[in-house]
Amino acid sequence: MDIGPYVLQLFSGLSRAMVLFLLSAGLSLIFGVMNILNFAHATLWLLSGYVTFSIFTFLSERLGASPWMLLPAIAGTVALMMLAGLALERFLIRRTYERELPEQLLLTFALVLILGDLIKLVWGLENRRINLGVQPIEMLDSLVNPYQFVIVGTGVAVAAGLWYFLHRTRFGKIVRAAVYSRSMVSALGIPIPAIYAMVFAMGVGLAALAGGVFLPLLPMALGEDLDIIVQCFAVVVIGGFGSMLGTFVASIVVGVVYSFSILFWPDGALAMIFLIVIAVLIWRPWGLFGTELRY
Amino acid sequence: MSGEGNGAGWLSRVYARYGISGPVALLLLVLLLGVPLLPGEYWTHVGTEVLILGLFAMSFNLLYGYMGQISFGHAAFFGVGAYATAMLFTALKTPAGQIGIPQFFLSLLIGPPVAALIVGFFCVRLTGIYFAMLSLAFGELLFYIVFSWYSFTKGDDGIQGLLPPPLFQDAVNFYYLTLVIVVAAAVVMWRITESPFGYTLRTLRDNQRRAAFLGTNVMVHMLANFVIAGAFAGLAGALWGPFSRSVNPVLLGWGESGIAVFMTLIGGAGAFIGPMIGSVIYTMLQAMVKMYTVYWPLTIGTIILLIVLFAPGGILGVIDKRIRAGRSGQSANGGDAEAAARGAEPRP
Repeated sequence: MDIGPYVLQLFSGLSRAMVLFLLSAGLSLIFGVMNILNFAHATLWLLSGYVTFSIFTFLSERLGASPWMLLPAIAGTVALMMLAGLALERFLIRRTYERELPEQLLLTFALVLILGDLIKLVWGLENRRINLGVQPIEMLDSLVNPYQFVIVGTGVAVAAGLWYFLHRTRFGKIVRAAVYSRSMVSALGIPIPAIYAMVFAMGVGLAALAGGVFLPLLPMALGEDLDIIVQCFAVVVIGGFGSMLGTFVASIVVGVVYSFSILFWPDGALAMIFLIVIAVLIWRPWGLFGTELRY
Repeated sequence: MSGEGNGAGWLSRVYARYGISGPVALLLLVLLLGVPLLPGEYWTHVGTEVLILGLFAMSFNLLYGYMGQISFGHAAFFGVGAYATAMLFTALKTPAGQIGIPQFFLSLLIGPPVAALIVGFFCVRLTGIYFAMLSLAFGELLFYIVFSWYSFTKGDDGIQGLLPPPLFQDAVNFYYLTLVIVVAAAVVMWRITESPFGYTLRTLRDNQRRAAFLGTNVMVHMLANFVIAGAFAGLAGALWGPFSRSVNPVLLGWGESGIAVFMTLIGGAGAFIGPMIGSVIYTMLQAMVKMYTVYWPLTIGTIILLIVLFAPGGILGVIDKRIRAGRSGQSANGGDAEAAARGAEPRP
């Protein structure tokens, strides 16, 4: 049996999984702490991709082309997008904390439409992609793009960093406590609005990182955000809201199932994922690793 | 605002009996009857679209306004209805390429309640955000099934050439057919929302746990409403096929579901007729904005943003509030309190 295609799909599935993880981790944190389901999360990711592309192009023109220019481009994008996240939280999201759930959903859904069209307005219809010029390497009968190792490495590093942050730092512990009881955290004298703002900015920062890291692998295209946000919902539902371990495992499940389904039933890859989501929601609505407490 | 209460006495009585929906529905009906008088076929087409999408949005509001659950997969039933009609059309039409009137009405009636029953069976176990996501997941699942089952549904090519019977191929005739069907459907929906069943739904929206303590079978009521809403969405979809002469998988996608949500929000989920008013505004606005710019999502997104931030009750919610304020300021008697109570708003 020729294992080449399977190895190829495994690696592309894993790199897809890492991008999903970076996005879903932010989505899950924001929902866990703030109780806001951010429909616009993937649109912010898409925007970050375009911003990274522009900074990368600018730097390459001024300082000479080099793959390493990607690093400052990503760093700059993350910083910019975190500021944008702070502004979004301060001026829009904050107004809906006391509102009903459908209104919060609609606010972020409106942002999807607005930001999506603004991207079209600024960058046009053309897809954006950074070509780093790396040669594929031969491995287990298949040609693997070595950049996929970078993506997987980034994902694992962020997962470890998030774990350390949430379990070993003071701010992280406050965030985890806020997931369980906001009123108790507030009663202890911790300023909840500041926590909200920081968590939102952090989530957007992770999305921006995902956007930048993703760029050399696949082109950024308008409308991609809708595909991705639905898959992120799938990830957080399968893994369980607020659970980082669950999000990580579910990202890998969704990414790998997706890329293997493409081999067997190209049009139905997403249908497979929705079947898993439906099964999880019926059997364990709080997700594989979530707790019933939050349900 | 206070002048309106006195100026039109009968209008004021209709308002007292049926809330904001009553007078608005009457005025709207008069306007809709006159649409084909406008020059050119274009506005008749827009009017038909307003009616069909308005029916779709009103069926969505049975879930959102009355039952308090937001569905992001409601278009699945719209699309299933459209496809059911399309396939019956294809199966029943004579070699001449047209079908008889009885078969046409038969194909409108058979539709998506079965799909709604299956999907609803799973969805009603959950509420709030989980209901929203499960409905989204089912909607997308149905979309991908239709999209990729090429031998059965023709995939993304869709099904073309859905000519209605000769009598209704004329735009004006089809418009009046749609108007009759939509008004009939709206009357039935109004009866449902004013029945004890409709009030049980409001209880489920306001406090599901208390409703359960009172002995209400929560799941059965939610499922029944889900099937009813799905059936009306399917009816709207069934009209859409012959209207646009074709169906395609996009009709099942979440973009289409979003349209129902937007219309309901713009018009006001708190009034029975709100989604139809939303459809008038949304469809007309779209027809106009698309003449000048391709940035329609930016426009509608900004409108939604402003409505969520500044007018959460939608257009009718804002008007209703001002009328109430005017009336109670004018004469603070018991009759107004009764009127407010009989208005029976889905969502304050």
